[in-house]
Amino acid sequence: MSIERKLQDIVGQDWVVTQREHIEKYLSDETCLAVKPAPADNVIVVKPANNKEISEIIKLAGSEKIPVFIRGGGTGLCGGAIPTKDGIVLSLERLDVIEEIDENNLMIVAQAGVTFGQMLQAVEEAGLFFPPHPGDEGAQLGGLVACNAGGSRAVKYGIIRNFVKGLEVVLPSGQIINLGGKLLKNNQGLDLLHLMINSGGILGVITRVIFRLYPKPLNSGTLVVSFNDRRSATDVVPLLLRSGIIPLAMEYIGHEEIEIAAHHLNLKWPAEKGTAHLIIMLSGDSEEEVYSQAERVSAICEKNNSVDIIIAETREEQSNILKMRSILYTAIKPNMADTLDVSVPPASVGLMMDSIEKIAKKYNTIIPTYGHVADGNLHGHLLNNLHDRGLVKTVKREIYQASIGLGGVITGEHGLGTIRIPDTDLIADGVTWNLMRQIKKVFDPDNILNPGTTIP
Amino acid sequence: MVNIVVPIKQVPDIESVRFDSEKGRIDRSSAAAEINPFDLNALEAALVTKDECGGTITVISMGPPSAETTLRDALSRGADRAILLTGAEFAGADTLATSYTLACAIKKSGLFDLIICGEKTVDGDTGQVGPEIAEHLDIPHIAYVSNIEIFENKIIATSEMDGLVQLESGFPLLITVTKDINKPRLPSLGAKLRARKAVIEIWNADNLLPSEQKDKLGLKGSPTKVHRIVIPGDEGRKGIVIRNAPDKAVTAILQVLEEQKLWERRE
Repeated sequence: MSIERKLQDIVGQDWVVTQREHIEKYLSDETCLAVKPAPADNVIVVKPANNKEISEIIKLAGSEKIPVFIRGGGTGLCGGAIPTKDGIVLSLERLDVIEEIDENNLMIVAQAGVTFGQMLQAVEEAGLFFPPHPGDEGAQLGGLVACNAGGSRAVKYGIIRNFVKGLEVVLPSGQIINLGGKLLKNNQGLDLLHLMINSGGILGVITRVIFRLYPKPLNSGTLVVSFNDRRSATDVVPLLLRSGIIPLAMEYIGHEEIEIAAHHLNLKWPAEKGTAHLIIMLSGDSEEEVYSQAERVSAICEKNNSVDIIIAETREEQSNILKMRSILYTAIKPNMADTLDVSVPPASVGLMMDSIEKIAKKYNTIIPTYGHVADGNLHGHLLNNLHDRGLVKTVKREIYQASIGLGGVITGEHGLGTIRIPDTDLIADGVTWNLMRQIKKVFDPDNILNPGTTIP
Repeated sequence: MVNIVVPIKQVPDIESVRFDSEKGRIDRSSAAAEINPFDLNALEAALVTKDECGGTITVISMGPPSAETTLRDALSRGADRAILLTGAEFAGADTLATSYTLACAIKKSGLFDLIICGEKTVDGDTGQVGPEIAEHLDIPHIAYVSNIEIFENKIIATSEMDGLVQLESGFPLLITVTKDINKPRLPSLGAKLRARKAVIEIWNADNLLPSEQKDKLGLKGSPTKVHRIVIPGDEGRKGIVIRNAPDKAVTAILQVLEEQKLWERRE
């Protein structure tokens, strides 16, 4: 019996797709075109309805030694979801049920294929709050966990890792395990839950997640603080954090780039002065608390060369600012050969940006760079002109070396995926990579799940 | 110099507000209160006019004492004077009583050249109050304006009322504006903090009318009777798998679309 037929026996004939024109969207993700890996020729897409079907599919793939590429929302930026070998794409789209919002324990239990947007809406309707915002709301919850997404609202409460309290995982053996639960404290043995987070799907298929929620802040306000030079903007960040102001988000963006994003959404960027802006999202239990923080931000920024501070308070006006920030990547993407994701100690962001500018000058280009400045996580964009001149790899590796030189890493939130694996030679820690390979072998001795991704 | 009045209303954030289906009303405590979004476009149009021609902007709101925050928001965005009409006599007003009250307040507030309203409010959605104010004041009005050009003695407005028409008028005039007319600016933090301490003029019914005319205000002055409010439910997405051969499948799909009133068969 063919694999296709065997898969149909597991999930039903409607949920196995092989015709190329019907599976195109399962063969790609949001990675820049110039560096996006090509998908394999023989790919079957299967769409199971539950963890038991997933277990059967994984067992079948294991016995036939067929690679399985796990598919969430396809919003990744590092080629991690692209089936680069002949095999099965396992789409989690039908696992789309929010099972419970537990208001007393402040937890949400949801299947892995629920989109981030659906979850945010449900949480909002329950009057609760999920702080991190990794950007694309089409991402699925399983993918958010498997990639340990970061995003722009991580300063006060942390990244996705800080919110994962429980997972259901289908292992490469087909066994279904539950890790953690609605627990805030759990020291029962080694922490396999956190091993699964950012595992890129190479250790198991995440089928259900439990996230911690928070009460909704009663008041919030978004400031746009403008400066006439980049260094003033980045240098004020540690001063703000040291002063005790811990905002939900603190983002750095250049004026030219954010104007492109505003145009893309037919919105108006609210700040007219300055060439460099900080977006600072404040929250508090009262209007007074938000204003008091805003006044302190204002005092510190004005002492450090800010030229204008604007405040958005209505939901729509705040959300428009976040939308413009979130769409930046998509808006610039047509001119982009690759997007970088270096992460350095937060106070070194100014130095990192200086290095990127120096490298750009050396290669006679510009590298628009923005990012989660309070987290030390920057996205530099290598433009198509570098690709045309065959320089993307060279420039990228120089930036990576600068990041490593500052005590940083080559990816802060996007992950290694497939596109950054060739650059892991820059990181000379063979012992660590070996440990990771051995862990992979324990879970997946036949290298079935997402082969070629996540670790070198 | 153009002296402008902008009537504004405090509304719940309509995207996040909850509806009480049993009682058939909006649960205002469930969402933050803000300036009616269309009124922000009206205020922005006033600010642009003031930037170009000079003059003053007066914002007037009728509502509970909490509507003061909405007026402070308008002051922080550049309005010069704010008046709050508040008191038990104003409560329960329909569009007729509301427009009458606002017209009385506008008259009392001093000389004006131009009144700019949002095309409607997001909670009432009638679009009647602006034009009714013009009728009470016996001045011309142009509704659904998406562009204006101001000259010394006249204004040329593009209205989307009936297709796209350009209309010319002298002053005084009332216009209601659509979302397309502009993109409202945000206030600077400094202006916001100053507006928190600004003086808001508070007027009650006694300030507006002699007592024998007060039956034109609030519930007493409202001929509209709301019989029932029905909140449509959210049906959500539905999926139907049609397994017929292509030509029969097309017929089946068309039939579904027809039943859902998404498509009409033309004989």
